[in-house]
Amino acid sequence: MSTILELQNLKKYFATQKAVDDISLSVNKGSIFGLLGPNGAGKTTLIRMITGIFYPDSGQIFFDGKKFDPINDVGYIGYMPEERGLYKKMKIGEQTMYLAQLKGLSRTEALEKIKRWFIKFEMETWWNKKVEDLSKGMSQKLQFVTTVVHEPKLIILDEPFSGLDPVNSNLIKDEIFRLASNGSTILFSTHRMEQVEEICDHIVLVNKGKKILDGSVKQVKQDFKENLFSIGTTELPALNGSSPYETVGAKDHSFVVRIKDGKNPNDVLQFLLQNGTSVHSFNEILPSLNDIFIKLVEGTPTARQFQTIKAD
Amino acid sequence: MRKIWLIIKREYLTRVRKKTFIISTLLFPILYIALIFGMGYIAEKTRENLNVAVIDKSGYFSESLLAKQNGIDKSSHLTLVKENADSVKKDYKKSGYDGYIEIPAIDWEIAKTDTLLLWSFKSYGSGSTTPIEAKLNRIWTVIKNEKLGIDSSKSEILTYSQLNLRSINIKDRSANAKTAEGIGYAAGLLIYVILLIYGSQVMMGVMEEKTNRIAEVIVSSVKPFQMMLGKILGIGLVALTQFFIWIAFVLIVYNIGKFSAGGGGAANVMVGNMQKMFSNVDIPLILFCFGFYFLAGFFFYASLYGAIGSAVNEDMREAQSLSFPITMLVILSIALMTSTIANPTSPIAVWGSIIPFSSPIVMMARIPFGVPNTVPWWQLFLSMGMLIIGFIFTVWFAGKIYRTGILMYGKKPSWKEMLRWAFRKN
Repeated sequence: MSTILELQNLKKYFATQKAVDDISLSVNKGSIFGLLGPNGAGKTTLIRMITGIFYPDSGQIFFDGKKFDPINDVGYIGYMPEERGLYKKMKIGEQTMYLAQLKGLSRTEALEKIKRWFIKFEMETWWNKKVEDLSKGMSQKLQFVTTVVHEPKLIILDEPFSGLDPVNSNLIKDEIFRLASNGSTILFSTHRMEQVEEICDHIVLVNKGKKILDGSVKQVKQDFKENLFSIGTTELPALNGSSPYETVGAKDHSFVVRIKDGKNPNDVLQFLLQNGTSVHSFNEILPSLNDIFIKLVEGTPTARQFQTIKAD
Repeated sequence: MRKIWLIIKREYLTRVRKKTFIISTLLFPILYIALIFGMGYIAEKTRENLNVAVIDKSGYFSESLLAKQNGIDKSSHLTLVKENADSVKKDYKKSGYDGYIEIPAIDWEIAKTDTLLLWSFKSYGSGSTTPIEAKLNRIWTVIKNEKLGIDSSKSEILTYSQLNLRSINIKDRSANAKTAEGIGYAAGLLIYVILLIYGSQVMMGVMEEKTNRIAEVIVSSVKPFQMMLGKILGIGLVALTQFFIWIAFVLIVYNIGKFSAGGGGAANVMVGNMQKMFSNVDIPLILFCFGFYFLAGFFFYASLYGAIGSAVNEDMREAQSLSFPITMLVILSIALMTSTIANPTSPIAVWGSIIPFSSPIVMMARIPFGVPNTVPWWQLFLSMGMLIIGFIFTVWFAGKIYRTGILMYGKKPSWKEMLRWAFRKN
């Protein structure tokens, strides 16, 4: 699979912070990529470099196989910032046309594509309304349309679901899946882990300007598993020195056990069957991304400290 | 370039279609007409034809003198009262007078008399009292002439034979200082108003984009510098549009006045005066220079105002305190202009018209005095060149601040911090 975006040793230092400190990553074409991290980890700075708003202090960005050229490549990128923004007093149709044309579409192209999106999202009646007439959820929908209307190869969404009700949330989510299956790549920045688990193929976790985790969602979960299993049964046999697990917790008719080093699930089942225990269920417990996130970020100060940075 | 064009178009159209723009553009000419015709009308309306009793204790006034002057000027009527002076004073209303004037027992040879008082129940404005004063003085002149033995032909010599003084430029006989002062003042003032009004429009526009958070969306499509330049050019075009409409309006009024024979008296007089005034002035040069200094001065200041708009948050007070030094520069230019008009070749005037920050206003005040005599060509070209360099610098400088400021939220930066943004590489 070819990559749409590749970052190599990207650095961006501000006067009092190393906002992005030597981050490398690559994003596959057509994937849904999660960029995770606590507040102030450097996600927004990283995204601003990818969108050509900031120049990196050092490091390289490759977009679609070539060196990133902000002036021409921004037309292939759609960016929805976390802080949403539209002209409040401008008519919605005109505004969408304006933003689409700024991305390089011609008038007729823009009109045709916008019309299609407005019909799809049932927004036809909005054309001559102003943004200030819209509710928060409605303007969120409009913002999404303005982000993707020029059919970008790379769509960067910063917290796309904040402020959306479940119905509109699903609408956008389905659209994200559809766009990805049509070949667009989605880079998706959030700290809502349940959505990441549901949507993303691949994640990168950044903290304090550094990448601390990189992998597919499945792989990451495997890497962080703690050999925990849940066993559904009425009673567990008494433990002895040779038992392959230790009990971690119990609730109603299920028990959580940790398999000892060097043993495998088969050993556990064998042990249980030998002791005549009737097993209703036997499941591996994988850590949630939320747990992994908290585990990795915990212990570091939540707020970044100001420090003096010397450019090197 | 296509993107800057799109931005210019948006900035221009959203402003020109606003109700406030349409109203202010139309209101100015309406006020202008109202001022010209209204003032004449009000003066006419408020003047009252007074019937005034003159109680003469000096003994110089006679009924025939008064009757003659009453015949010439019918805007007031003076009646000499001799016998029943006390009853008139007590109750002049009953006798049919609006008021009375008592002329004390004065000596005609004494040069100065006390101010005469017009006693009445109402206070009359100068519109009503000035004609009476003039009439009394004409009568007084006749009395004096009579006493001195001056006949009417000698009196004419006294009145009409006078020496007049006017300043004429030896090299440029057409230059008329009075007209030049007027044009210079008007041009300088117009540029001053444009810089302040449209400069702050640029600032507000940038602040709006920043607080709406649309800025980040836009800068992911265009460079911040293009965004700023598009805004400045768009708003500059709005200002130009407004002026073209006004100039067109003035030309229409001028031509209507010129061709409508026997039309409104006030308009005719005004048009006549305007023709006389402008026949001596190099209008094309002044218009060209006005256009140049208007645009270049606008770029110079608007970019600075834009930089400030990008640096502050939604708080208007922050914006005002940061833009204060800039506004002071504009106000200082107006102060320089006042002294320039009094003496257009003084060193202050010359330097003020060359240094970029004040040149748009000060040079516009000097040009009507005549190029190349009052303002040598080298000064004009130097001033223009410096202003072009000046605005290229401020636009560049503002672009640097803008790029950082537009995405920076939180504390208001100081001028020192903004300078650091400007001179940092990248």
